[in-house]
Amino acid sequence: MKKDSIAYTVGFTFVVCAAFVFFLALANELTKDRVAANQRLAERRAILAALGAEPGPGESADEAYLRLVAEIRPEAGTPGRASPLYRLGAGETAAYAASVSGPGLWGGISAVLAVDAQVSRIVGLELVSQNETPGLGGRIGEAWFTAQFRGEALSGGRIRVRQGSGSGDPDPGNGELDAVTGATLTSAAVERIVNAGLASFEALRDGGKLR
Amino acid sequence: MSPEIHPLTLLVASIFTNNILLSNFLGMCSFISISKDQKSSSGLGLAVTVVMAITMIASWAVLKLVIEPAGIGYLSFIIFIIVIAAIVQVLEMVIDRVSPALYLSLGIFLPLITVNCAILGAILFMQIRNYGFLQAAAFGLGSGAGWWLAIALLSSIRKKVDAAPVPAGLKGAGITLVTIGFMAMAFIGFSGMVNVQ
Amino acid sequence: MSPAKKRGAAASILVDNLWWNNPVFVQVLGICSTLAVTNNLSNTLIMTTGVSLATAFSSATLSAMNKAIPAKVRMIVQVLVISFYVIIIDIVLRAYLPEVSRSLGPYVGLIITNCIIMGRAEAFARSNPPALSFWDGLTSGLGYMAVLVAIAVVRELFGFGSFAGVPLLGPRWTSWTIMIMAPSAFFLLAMAMWGLKTLQERMKGGKR
Repeated sequence: MKKDSIAYTVGFTFVVCAAFVFFLALANELTKDRVAANQRLAERRAILAALGAEPGPGESADEAYLRLVAEIRPEAGTPGRASPLYRLGAGETAAYAASVSGPGLWGGISAVLAVDAQVSRIVGLELVSQNETPGLGGRIGEAWFTAQFRGEALSGGRIRVRQGSGSGDPDPGNGELDAVTGATLTSAAVERIVNAGLASFEALRDGGKLR
Repeated sequence: MSPEIHPLTLLVASIFTNNILLSNFLGMCSFISISKDQKSSSGLGLAVTVVMAITMIASWAVLKLVIEPAGIGYLSFIIFIIVIAAIVQVLEMVIDRVSPALYLSLGIFLPLITVNCAILGAILFMQIRNYGFLQAAAFGLGSGAGWWLAIALLSSIRKKVDAAPVPAGLKGAGITLVTIGFMAMAFIGFSGMVNVQ
Repeated sequence: MSPAKKRGAAASILVDNLWWNNPVFVQVLGICSTLAVTNNLSNTLIMTTGVSLATAFSSATLSAMNKAIPAKVRMIVQVLVISFYVIIIDIVLRAYLPEVSRSLGPYVGLIITNCIIMGRAEAFARSNPPALSFWDGLTSGLGYMAVLVAIAVVRELFGFGSFAGVPLLGPRWTSWTIMIMAPSAFFLLAMAMWGLKTLQERMKGGKR
């Protein structure tokens, strides 16, 4: 058969495509479980970090998660809540975490937000994914930014992200946090996402679900 | 996941504050070699804008209608590349039939575009940021227009720079990169501008 | 052209690709996909390793099947082969280095459009045997890696005060935001290009 004939060209392209797709499907199949496990692990790590729980010595994040965190699936038909709630500890001193998300400047920002049982304090905030501009909005992923949320008391049930020194608000009692310098919109987006999360925690508390 | 970002915000942001070339470095190869010449720069910029807008919408449709329902996300790179190549090919034929004059000014740049990383890059950003239809369309158009703006500006600046006494080792690509660096810094100044939310 | 030509083919390819014909500062190719991640050394290392491997394997594969590829679909087959290896890299990263995969985001996929890979496939693999093409692709990738890793070291050190994630300059260090942002990559690359090209000119002059 001639190399430049249409039949050869089409046949060749088809065979090459089929072979590649076969190998890729194979590779994907072989690693599928591992990828899923990785995703679960990353999620559990974020939940643990937001709740302020550390894995014990020699313990993996998976084991710590299974030992410490109770997963509360939403009852069927609960309005407004589709994602599960995570509880650390019990009773008055329990901490609750849930994933929160919303639009940033570029794409979705998603995080795990944890509060105490009274929804009077943030226990912690851990970013899961964001697509903000590196060096500007992207700095919401840096430790100093999320660390200021740890133990922050709410004022009027909400937080406020304001322009500050850019190195983190040192006072955990005022419900105020430092914005990332030069990234006002991204900081405001985080404020909106956290406050929306707080509102849904309050609804759960008032519905007697945080006990 | 992000239905609330206003498409207009994305359009303005992708042209100015997050110019795909100046802040994501995408499409540099053809950028540096073509920007020597002002006329070709504009031609290529226009071609990139057109192809970017069309392929973005097409890839969005392919992503939502084929890739996601079929669960073949791992093949998305190959599928996007094929979509781009196919659209460029079709566009080339259509322009050739409809307007030979336009083909002369635009057509020669089309083959260059298939391997322009800005196009694939913008599509991959669209996928990872999970844009809706209008957002994808605005982002595609904005990214293309931003690339066009950058290459048009750079080619005019280069005309002046080429006449300047530049140290031998810095000539050509080196001084062009410095120029792009300054342009990128200037574009950061647009940061406060996007307030369409 | 270069003084290295007299040595064995493999050695001469190595020297050529790393120095005399370096893809970054001589040919100015392929910087698009990787420059964006150079504010972090580990990411840069992974990305450039990915580029080297993808270049090496696709050059070898394309060289092996060169005779069989019909002229009409040459480019699309090249892109297919390259995408194949890049997807393999993506799958491996997602399975074994999930954190890196997440922080690289779309940039892994962009290795496909890295001009170096296409460039080597066209310029070298087309007229050389697979083993030599593999070596050529690998060394091109290494030449690319060397420059970008150097840039990443500077950007991460000044931008975050750390080296490969390890804090080096202490808590009192004020990070230079410009180093994390895009313009610094352009400036540093231009400076690297200036220095290395000047050095190259001098070496050429000295040999003459």
